[in-house]
Amino acid sequence: MTGPNTDRSRRDVLKAAVAVGGSVGLSACLDAVGYQGADRPPVPSGPADLSTLPTRQFAWGEFIRRDEFGNEQLPRHQTLLYLNLHGEGAPTADQRATVERALTRLDEAYAWSHEGLLRSIAYTPEYFQRYGAMPEGVDIYPAKRLSSFETPDFDRQDALLHLASDRPDALLEAELALTGERATANGVEFDAALTDVFTVDDRRTGFVGAGLPAEKQAGLEGVPEDGPVPEASPLFMGFKAGFAKNQAPEDRVTIQEGPFAGGTTKHVANLRQRLSDWYGEQDFADQVMEMFSPMHAENNWVEGVGANLGDGSRVDATLDTIREQAREHGRVGHAQKAARANRDADGGVKLNRRHFESADDGIASLHFPSLQREMSEFDAVREAMNGQDLTEVTPAVRQRVNNGILEYIFVRHRGNFLVPPREIRSLPTPQGEVPE
Amino acid sequence: MRRRDFLLGTGAAGATALAGCGGLVETRSLSSPPVLSNRPDAVYFPTHVEGMQMTGMGGSGDYKFALMYSYPHRFWNVNGDEVQKTSIEDEDDVHLMATVWDPETGVVLPETGLSLEISKGGDLVSQEVIYPMLSQPMGFHYGGNFPLDGDGAYDVTVSVGGVNTRRTGAFREKFGDPAETTIGFDYSESKRNEIMFEETPDRAGKRSARDPMEMGMMPQSTLPPAEEFPGGVRGTAETGDANLVVTTLDAPPEGVDAPDGAQYLAVSARTPYNRMVLPAMAMEGTLTSGGETVFDGALTRTLDPDLNYHYGAAVESVPAGADLELRVTTPPQVARHEGYETAFIDMQPTSQTL
Repeated sequence: MTGPNTDRSRRDVLKAAVAVGGSVGLSACLDAVGYQGADRPPVPSGPADLSTLPTRQFAWGEFIRRDEFGNEQLPRHQTLLYLNLHGEGAPTADQRATVERALTRLDEAYAWSHEGLLRSIAYTPEYFQRYGAMPEGVDIYPAKRLSSFETPDFDRQDALLHLASDRPDALLEAELALTGERATANGVEFDAALTDVFTVDDRRTGFVGAGLPAEKQAGLEGVPEDGPVPEASPLFMGFKAGFAKNQAPEDRVTIQEGPFAGGTTKHVANLRQRLSDWYGEQDFADQVMEMFSPMHAENNWVEGVGANLGDGSRVDATLDTIREQAREHGRVGHAQKAARANRDADGGVKLNRRHFESADDGIASLHFPSLQREMSEFDAVREAMNGQDLTEVTPAVRQRVNNGILEYIFVRHRGNFLVPPREIRSLPTPQGEVPE
Repeated sequence: MRRRDFLLGTGAAGATALAGCGGLVETRSLSSPPVLSNRPDAVYFPTHVEGMQMTGMGGSGDYKFALMYSYPHRFWNVNGDEVQKTSIEDEDDVHLMATVWDPETGVVLPETGLSLEISKGGDLVSQEVIYPMLSQPMGFHYGGNFPLDGDGAYDVTVSVGGVNTRRTGAFREKFGDPAETTIGFDYSESKRNEIMFEETPDRAGKRSARDPMEMGMMPQSTLPPAEEFPGGVRGTAETGDANLVVTTLDAPPEGVDAPDGAQYLAVSARTPYNRMVLPAMAMEGTLTSGGETVFDGALTRTLDPDLNYHYGAAVESVPAGADLELRVTTPPQVARHEGYETAFIDMQPTSQTL
């Protein structure tokens, strides 16, 4: 390919490749990057000694890029596979061995890093119901409705496999091996596939990072046609998120005791985004008010996508006067509402949010995984984000209008999961055992 | 593109198209007459009147829904006491309107989040939270302008959130949950253009309102006349062209937190002429009797099967001859169709002797 459009075309193919998936997606992806044959830059392989891998499947923070302020840069391409186990009742030892074998091949094939492949497998409360019990020592329960206006579909499949990499080719190849469509991945022969014991019920994909949302916006339902998403924005709504100081450290979200110590709970929502009013009716100051707080807008704390905020959103300074701000400006900010429930007694943040965007089905949406020690911590933050109490402060703040970003997001799916420690990641019992 | 074509067509065929319609009725120029420069700060007769078409009705949970459409409208959003015009966009094809009510009492539910999801052949066309609105023919409803994807069969899912405002009496156990229903919508541009549209230059700007539209099976957001309002009606205050009917009950409705023996002060806010509900205000009141302050505080937005949507507070008592000051600290937070956008904004405190 030559000419001025070459770079654009290559990027177009790449951005579509993960969404399309399968061998077609992989092939298109390899063609686009010129990665066919021996020219393909190597994807780093797993360690010789697999026991050096972290116990915590969600220990991604130390193994990914950080920006100049120390904020996490999540892997740019991600896939969520929602899996249903074959058969009724408790899984068999054979099924468990198959899962472990497939995941071990993955460990051998890919380095635990953004340049290799980060991954975790998690299980729903409904999976544990196969044993007639909830997992011991964990605050978790089936997903439920979390606002007075949403009507999501609940993800009650047995398991969720989350794959993430900066290399779309690695992501696709790993998935093909795990779903039995390729015999090898990154030079490792797979003698078991997850699809030997699971059916893939749903496959959802996404991306995050400066440039990707701007690239993806053309023709996407939910984003205005004039392409308002800034090039520098890692997300469709035009701002950075997940500032280091506003994220719970991985230790804070780790289950401390019981058979699942070293694990965490994971909530994953999928939210459709409708941004024509966000970009059409709101000026920048309005957007800052609704994303952060009226105080942020008044004090001009946010420039552009918010890179000037460094490693903290400054949202803690806006919490005490949230009612006065609502009364004065007739609006409240998304971040300030949620933060009210996202701090423990000594000010520590409770949730570790790892959201990324999606163009699945040609519609802009957000995948919102959140990690926390107890599932009810997530629910409390969502309730605070609903801002129902603030609709009583002033009628200008309504159920979904002038109430943070609630006007622009529509929850499509919710699921609750337990991410067990790596040692018992393969079809554990509620007692945290993986009997052979 | 379609809009420009249509305007060109109307321009060329204008006189002929009008000839058969009689009077001032015309098929439609998608540009409405200009907004009047000398509007009163009150309810006024708009520059034009339009019809609308019902697309269908549906029910789910505690709620009944109706969906209607008309030409795209300019309307005015209200945020606090700021009023901002929303113009018709080139790509807008219709103004979609939804009403949601309690099928048992016919009470229209004015304060809940309502959104529409529009699809055609299974593909998403649009999805928006639409705004609460007031119009003279319909009173309170939810509405928004939408672009469509040409003529054809659409599915419109109307979703409503649980009502957050205080609910009393038999409404305490209702309207807490969200619900949705899908209503079919066969759209064609030519059928839309048959909807009545009439310019009204002889009446425009006058302090009056057009008559409410006949709604068939669908209830209006109309409140009963003051003399038929429940309780002992103590008078009507006027502010910002709104009528505030004050009534008292010997005891608060169930669901109001109040000490034993308390009475209930309720204010029913409505438009002049047509008595349509004026929701989503912040209102405070001070009640004094014999030099003593009997009550001083907020009147809570409340939905009750008998009192309908109103602003209410439990008070110790409301002696005859007591003075009541009412202060609207935030005007009705509803968008306005033409004729309502200058009213109910500047709402000065009122005083009356009960």
